[in-house]
Amino acid sequence: MVLSISSRRLMKELKEIETKGTPPGIQLLKADDMETWIFLISVLGDETVYKGETFALKLKFEPGYPIDYPQVTFLSDDQYQPPLHPHVYSNGHICASILGSEWSPVLTALSICITIQSMLASCKKKERPPGNDRYVRSAPLNPKLTRWAYEDDTV
Amino acid sequence: MNTNHPLLASLADEPPPFPDSHPQLQRLDRSVLCTICKEIFRAPVTVTCGHTFCSECIRSSLSVMTDKKCPLCHATITEGSIRRNRAMEEVTEAWETARDSLITLSQPVAGPSRRRPPPEPNSKSSSSTSANLKRPRRSDESRSQSPNKISKKSTDHVDHVVSSDSEEEEQVQEISENDEGECPLCSARMAIASIPMHIERGCPPVSKKKSAPGNQKADWRKVFSMAGSTKEKNVSMKRITSPNYHLATPTDLRNILNEYSLPTVGDKPALEARVRQWIILFNSNLDTEHPKSLSALRAKLNAEEISKKRDKERGRDEAVENLKTTEGFAEHVRNSGAEFERLRKEIMERDAKRAKAAKGLEASSAIEVD
Repeated sequence: MVLSISSRRLMKELKEIETKGTPPGIQLLKADDMETWIFLISVLGDETVYKGETFALKLKFEPGYPIDYPQVTFLSDDQYQPPLHPHVYSNGHICASILGSEWSPVLTALSICITIQSMLASCKKKERPPGNDRYVRSAPLNPKLTRWAYEDDTV
Repeated sequence: MNTNHPLLASLADEPPPFPDSHPQLQRLDRSVLCTICKEIFRAPVTVTCGHTFCSECIRSSLSVMTDKKCPLCHATITEGSIRRNRAMEEVTEAWETARDSLITLSQPVAGPSRRRPPPEPNSKSSSSTSANLKRPRRSDESRSQSPNKISKKSTDHVDHVVSSDSEEEEQVQEISENDEGECPLCSARMAIASIPMHIERGCPPVSKKKSAPGNQKADWRKVFSMAGSTKEKNVSMKRITSPNYHLATPTDLRNILNEYSLPTVGDKPALEARVRQWIILFNSNLDTEHPKSLSALRAKLNAEEISKKRDKERGRDEAVENLKTTEGFAEHVRNSGAEFERLRKEIMERDAKRAKAAKGLEASSAIEVD
């Protein structure tokens, strides 16, 4: 069977995770197929406002990956809730430039996790983004359909 | 998680990695990998900032980027700045050839129970013979497509391409006439006299017939070699310049597809996608010492189109299938309940105003929900 470019690339990433493991605070929860992977993310150390909390990050890969970026959202279900963060909406959508205009095909699933982890780590105040309710009310299911405006350069 | 992930079984054909005892070899091994596809470089090219990628990888990346930047350092780059990296291709090939024997040499010395023969003479001879078999080494040469230079990669489709390719090879020789020049924009070769008009028209792909005036020698050769008598189109093995997709009419796109004997079915978006993908495949195929035949490229384009279509359909089926389960339906309601409510109100208000027929309402709500 000839594998598509995206599947080959994802398998290489998976193999890398299997052999080398994940960085501290990041754990692969589910990768049953070449479409949806779920990582558990927690921020380590005492400085963080998310001490003791664990979040589930869902990555949904499309056939165009890695040229095209994946859909990345925090899970919002009975077990996991998205973090209270100025760039994370309560439906799990994340406003981060690498998940949009700043995406680069050299990034990997793990590097997305690391970026999100450091985005959480640099957070000082737990709050929802302004306009959260308005956005969540009308947000499309796929965060890629949202037209993000990146205001904060610190992420 | 277990270490033998079921999905990884299909990676079994991958070459084994170097042991941790040789970090320098691991580094060398990584340095011939494209950072986009994570595979060994195929048709490596370099962009303005000096970073190297597979030609197809960087061309596809640039085709979807709105502001075109190097994926690694974010320096501004253009497609025109892509240059073939012949040295890297040579290094990559040399490394691939040497890798097996290096793996053998890098294995920790086996215990006495293995009774392995001393590695030096054995591996040396076997590696050199296998290398000779696999890839006849060629000294310095320009990229050409004469049949005896087809590499082992393309030998499998040599049989069915020879007929169509022989003509293209003819082409390559013909266009090196003295009275021809290179277009400074698209570097297509043509009679020097016709270059200004060619640029004026926005660099359309050069068809041999049009640019023939003055090139009598080539014309006569065509007559004598019977090349002119066949109906098969002459395909110029020169880089394709992308058309302006905003201005191009479906007919323009079909003309380009026709030029390369590609299917011309579908609406404008489908045609545009096909032209885009073909230009990526065709242009990156010119960036290597071992180009594939045009028929192999056509087959690749077709396979990609089919798999894209299948993925699209599967996604849709899944969404519908999900709604059938109680969980999936509950989730859908949770996710889109608010949106549904808002749309319903909107529609009811408008309905009260206009008292429109129910048919129109359904249509408009369907569009917006999506």
